[in-house]
Amino acid sequence: MRRSLWAATLTALMTVAACTGGSTASPGGGGASGSPAGGGGASGSPAGTGGTGFDPNSIEGDLVMSGWSAGAVEAPILEQLLEDFQVAYPNIKVRFEPVAGEYPAAMAAKFSAAEPPDLFYVDSSLAPTWIDDDLLEPLDEYLAKSGFDVSQFYDGYLNAFKGPDGEIFGLPKDGNTLAMAYNTAMLEEAGVEPPTTHEELVAAADALKANGVEAPLCLSSTMDRALAFVYQNGGSLFNEDKTAATIDSPESVAGIDWYLNLFKNGQGQRPADLGVDWCGQALGEEKSAIIFEGGWVDPYMTDTFPEVEYAWAEMPEGAGGKATLAFTVSYSIGADSKNKDASWVLLSYLTGTEGMTTWTEGGVANPSRKDVEGAAGKEILIDGAEYARPWSFIPGFSEFNDAFNNAFTAALEGTGGAQEVANATKEAIDSNLQ
Amino acid sequence: MADAGRVRRPSPFGAGSERRSELIAAYALIAIPIALFLVLNIGSILYALYISFWEWTTRPREIIGIANYQEILSDRVFQRSVTNTIYYAALVVPLQMALGLFLAVVVNQKIRGQTFFRAAFYFPAIASSAAITVLFIFIMSPGGLFNEVRSLLGLNPVFQLLGFGPEHNWVGNSSTALNSIILLNAWTTSGTMMLFYLSFLQTISREVYEAAAIDGAGPWQAFWKITFPLLKPGHYFVATVSVIGALQLFDQAIIAGGSGGEPANSLTTMVLYLYREAIREFHFGYAAAVGIILFVIIFGATLVQRRLFGQAPSW
Repeated sequence: MRRSLWAATLTALMTVAACTGGSTASPGGGGASGSPAGGGGASGSPAGTGGTGFDPNSIEGDLVMSGWSAGAVEAPILEQLLEDFQVAYPNIKVRFEPVAGEYPAAMAAKFSAAEPPDLFYVDSSLAPTWIDDDLLEPLDEYLAKSGFDVSQFYDGYLNAFKGPDGEIFGLPKDGNTLAMAYNTAMLEEAGVEPPTTHEELVAAADALKANGVEAPLCLSSTMDRALAFVYQNGGSLFNEDKTAATIDSPESVAGIDWYLNLFKNGQGQRPADLGVDWCGQALGEEKSAIIFEGGWVDPYMTDTFPEVEYAWAEMPEGAGGKATLAFTVSYSIGADSKNKDASWVLLSYLTGTEGMTTWTEGGVANPSRKDVEGAAGKEILIDGAEYARPWSFIPGFSEFNDAFNNAFTAALEGTGGAQEVANATKEAIDSNLQ
Repeated sequence: MADAGRVRRPSPFGAGSERRSELIAAYALIAIPIALFLVLNIGSILYALYISFWEWTTRPREIIGIANYQEILSDRVFQRSVTNTIYYAALVVPLQMALGLFLAVVVNQKIRGQTFFRAAFYFPAIASSAAITVLFIFIMSPGGLFNEVRSLLGLNPVFQLLGFGPEHNWVGNSSTALNSIILLNAWTTSGTMMLFYLSFLQTISREVYEAAAIDGAGPWQAFWKITFPLLKPGHYFVATVSVIGALQLFDQAIIAGGSGGEPANSLTTMVLYLYREAIREFHFGYAAAVGIILFVIIFGATLVQRRLFGQAPSW
């Protein structure tokens, strides 16, 4: 059956010609190795003549940058950041167009119409899907041309945006790690030191419980927390090159089992069972003494529970050593952007030392670069990035993430155990590895 | 489509210029909604059918025939979503219909405050389902109003017998999540169903009831022997609308269980599954195939109902 015939009839019928924009894109081929720099610049292509020369000041263009809408605290800082850029590069005009509502859904429509913003946020967990679909421009040539040094980014953040062959499809705009936040007074009352190992954590929870804290730990029953403990136990979700699931390895299953037991032995409870929306609220309402969250807890606590005193400590160490998860978001250039050179100038400014310092010095976000000092009091969360592992895996993330979460909830309700959680997750991963 | 091919019949266009211009105006007026319908509804369905044979992400990749369908039908999460959706429809539709009919009969009586009751019963239908669902989750949470009230009323022993502890998380526990949403939706949609039934009730002639009264029929008999059977076209209409709505359950499911259909996939419905594949994973070809399967199921269910309730009776 002739595809073109079909396409012609149907598009005529539809008028929604948008989706056919990409027409005969062959998988993999086009985007990855394609010509990023040369053809890109709509207005002022800086002449690829020199080979190494890339003069950002000679580039002009009108850029649209998109992300989800910044909160009330972040918005003015982002505005300041873009104003600074405007002063430094007056030839490039930037318009920030936040996406209201569900970000991936809105972006899917823009990608399908081949009209993405020039520069936009990419959540680390979605990056593999978007990279696989050739939606993001590889940055390697730009990095080489302009001599941009990526070695200053923490691996846990940068690796989230690497393609299967190691090309870089985005630079982390900031980053967050999981750490342990604890209520100082509650621990003191129970005579407990902040735990540093799994054994100490269990002992601390038991001591707190004996001291009248009904749910010493607030624990999310989701993979975005449990996996940190699986890593600490020496387990993992994938092998090194992400070609096989390892969530059913003995270490991984033992890690899941250990985390499950925190619930089963009454050391921890889920937020919903504590009548709160998330563990930050459990810390604020002093329902739990210890939670495992990231830097987003700080502004929340300052706003909502300023009187509750808490402190940060590293995630406890398990049989497999120290481990935590790295959550981050990149700035990436749309493969269909018509202003790639100018976008690169903006991207390199925002993720360079100057831009990132402006962005993070007030403490709304933590730097993803080692050479940018974050705000005071954020040391634990920032330093965790030294050994944090990226929250970024393979395309199909939401399927195995949901599989883990649903099986874990079932296990908490008494249907199945750690092995079943591992099996369900592995099954969902395998269906995406084919 | 318009009967353009049958112009050879002399009547419509030959019968005077006035009638002719009326007809042209009529077809012109029909043309706009029909064109929109063809493009937006039929066109979308055909287009979805087309891309369902593709590996299609945000752009077309390659034609893979029925591979999407094979993969979907063997996917366990999809199978779960189908059983969830059918279970939901099987329970919520009769509940909605019974509740709607009951309310319609009640407010159809000549009682004081009739208008107030009609408005009050219809109210949940006009409130935002998102807002209602969020409130419902609060009310049904472990420390929520529902658990507090049943404890105050001393009903906990009864619930204990049924296996529910005093702090049961109704929407957060996989054994009760879907049933809770069923009860919620039966209530929120009952107003709309009432409205439908009310309009059908008012088509039943008063004389039939008068004749029955003369023959000595009580209200109970009148309902079962007259009202219920004469409402047959009403049942067909309400059941069809309600089944279609039920098979498309999405908003309450995603608000209560997130896009993962938590807890333990108990709230994964077919549309939620479709949504996740399309929006989270950009598997548009695959998601289109899910949509086509859903279309076939809904279409089949409607045909079955036509069989059950038959044609409109001729009275």
